[in-house]
Amino acid sequence: MEIYIINGLVLGSIYALIALGINLIWSITDIPDFSQGGIYVISAYVVYFSITTLNLPWYIAIVAAALAGAVMAFCFEKFLYRRWRGRTDHIQLLCAIALFFLLANLAIYLWTAKSLNLEHYIMGKAEIFGVGVSYQRLMIIVVVIVLFILINLFLMKTKTGKAIRAATQDIEVAPWMGIDINKVFSIIFAMGGALSGIAAALVAPVFAVYPMMGELPLLKALVVVILGGKGSLVGTLIAGMGLGILESLGAGYISASYQHGYAFIILLIVLVFKPQGLFGSRKE
Amino acid sequence: MELAKNNPTLINKKNIMIWATALVVVVAVSFVPVIFSRYVIYVATLALLYAMLTASYDLIFGYTGQLSFSQGAFFGLGAYTSALLTLSGGLNFWLALPLTVIVGFIIAALIGSPALRLRGSYFAVTTFFLAHFVYLVFLNTDKLTGGPMGLRNIQPPDKLWFIDFSQMNVYFYFVLLFTILVLLFLYYLIYKTEIGRRFVAIREDQDLAESLGVNTSFYKVLSFSISGALAALCGSLFAHYFLLLHPSQFAWFTSEMIVIMTLVGGAGTLIGPVLGAAVVTFILELFRYAPELRFIIWAAALIAILVFEPKGLMGMAKRIRFRRSQ
Repeated sequence: MEIYIINGLVLGSIYALIALGINLIWSITDIPDFSQGGIYVISAYVVYFSITTLNLPWYIAIVAAALAGAVMAFCFEKFLYRRWRGRTDHIQLLCAIALFFLLANLAIYLWTAKSLNLEHYIMGKAEIFGVGVSYQRLMIIVVVIVLFILINLFLMKTKTGKAIRAATQDIEVAPWMGIDINKVFSIIFAMGGALSGIAAALVAPVFAVYPMMGELPLLKALVVVILGGKGSLVGTLIAGMGLGILESLGAGYISASYQHGYAFIILLIVLVFKPQGLFGSRKE
Repeated sequence: MELAKNNPTLINKKNIMIWATALVVVVAVSFVPVIFSRYVIYVATLALLYAMLTASYDLIFGYTGQLSFSQGAFFGLGAYTSALLTLSGGLNFWLALPLTVIVGFIIAALIGSPALRLRGSYFAVTTFFLAHFVYLVFLNTDKLTGGPMGLRNIQPPDKLWFIDFSQMNVYFYFVLLFTILVLLFLYYLIYKTEIGRRFVAIREDQDLAESLGVNTSFYKVLSFSISGALAALCGSLFAHYFLLLHPSQFAWFTSEMIVIMTLVGGAGTLIGPVLGAAVVTFILELFRYAPELRFIIWAAALIAILVFEPKGLMGMAKRIRFRRSQ
C-alpha cells in the first residue's frame, strides 16, 4: 500500500509539473499546448547527451534541459502561435499537435526508437514507513513542490507576475494598462517549456529516455489541468498528485494493463457531475 | 452550405460544369482497375477508404465545427466489431455491416453526450484521450481482439448475387466507389435540409444558435453519432479488405491523419476532404521506403498548410478562380 502511494506521488509530481506549464499557457492563451509533450522528449535527450557525451554534472544538465525547453516553447510561440492570436478556430491547437508529432518523430529519426538509460543523479535510499525509496524519487517530489512555491511567489510578488495575472483575467484590457502582451506571452511560453524540460530531466534516470515517452505524461497533464481547473495552481498540484496516486493504486489493486486508462474514466465521471473541474471556476 | 444556398434544384445552368467535371472524374476513377497494376489498385482502394473516412469526419469537424480526435477510434471500433461479428458470431458480412453501423452510432452517442458538454479545446483534449483509451482496450482485451498479436483470419465479404469478393479485389474498389457516391449524396441532402443548417449554425456561433432555439447539445450529439457510425462503416469495410487487424492501426495518430487529410482538402467543403484523402494517401505511398521521414514530412506539411493555406486545396482553388474572374 505505502509503496503504491509513494510511487503515485512521484508520478503525480511529474504530471503536476508538466500540467503547471500547460495550465499557465492554457489559461492565458486558450491553447492546450500539446507541443509540450514534444519539448519534454527533446529535453530528455538533451539531458542524456549532456551527461553521457559532454560529461556535465547532473545539475548543469537539468539547467540545460530547462533552457532547451524554454527556447523551443519561446520559438514556437514567436514564430507560429503568434500569427493566429485571437482566432477562435482551432488553428493553434492543430499546430500544437503537429509540433508534438514532429518532435517525437524527429527524435525517432535522429536517435532511433530504442530506449536509453541514465544513472540516478543521487545514489542511495531512504526508509519511509518501512519502504525503501531511492533519493532520486524523493528528489522529484521535493523539487516539484519547491518549484510550485517559487512559481506562486513569482506570480504573486513580482511586477511581471502581476502583469501575467492581469493578462489572464482580461487579455483585451491588459494592453491599455501598459502591459506588453507579446512579452507576457513570451515569458509564459518560456516558463512552460522550462517546466516541461525540468520534468523530463527529473524523470530521465527513473524511467528510460525514448521518443514516445512524451505521449502519456502529456495526456495525463492535460487531464490534470481540466480536473484541477484552469488558472488554479493548488488545483493543479492536488489533481496531479491525486491522479498519480489513484493510477498507482489502480495498477496495483485493479489491473495494471489499464493503468493509463484510469485518468480517462476519472475525467468522464468528473465531467458528468462537475463540468467546471474540481477546483476551477471557469465559465465554459 | 454554399451548395445548398445557390442551388435550389439539383442541376441548373450554373453548376452544370461542376456536374460534368464530377462525371468525368467518376468515370476516370472507375477505369483505374482496368488500366493499372494490382499495386496501384491496392493504393487506390486505400485512398477511397480514407476518402470515405475523412468525409465521415468532415460532418463533425467541417460542418458542426467540433474539433475531435477520435475518428480513428470509431474506425477501429467498427473494424473490430465487424470482424468479431463474422469471426466469433458467425454472421454473414452483409448482416454484420449494418449492425456495426448501429453499434458505432450508439457508442458515439453514449460518449458524445457527456463529452460534448465541453467546448472547443476541452472537447478536443477529451476525444484525444478517448482515442488512446480505445487503443488500450483493443490492446488489453486480448481474449477477444487478440491484443498485441492482432486479429487474423478475417474473411472477405460473402458472395453477393454474382459478385464473389474472394476472387478479385477489384470488386471491392467498385463497392467503395459506389458507397462514397451514395455518402456524398446523403451529405448533400443533409446539408440542404434543416438539420444541416443547424449544424452549420452551431459551427458559426453556438451561443447565437442556442438563443435562436436550436437544441445545440442534441444536434451536436447527433452530428457526432452519425459521424461515428459512418466511421464504423469504413472500419467494417477496412477489416474485410485488409483481413488483418492490429491495435496500432487505430492508435492516436490515425485520428491525427484523418484531421490532416481533412485540412489538406479543406474542411466543410463536401468534396475537399475526399480530395485531400486521395492526395495524402498517394503522397504517403511515395515515401513508403522512408517510414521515419514520412511522419516528419507529414507533420511539417501540416504546419505549412496551417501557415500558408488553412482552407486547404479547395480554398486554393477558390482563390485561383476568383483571381481569374477579376
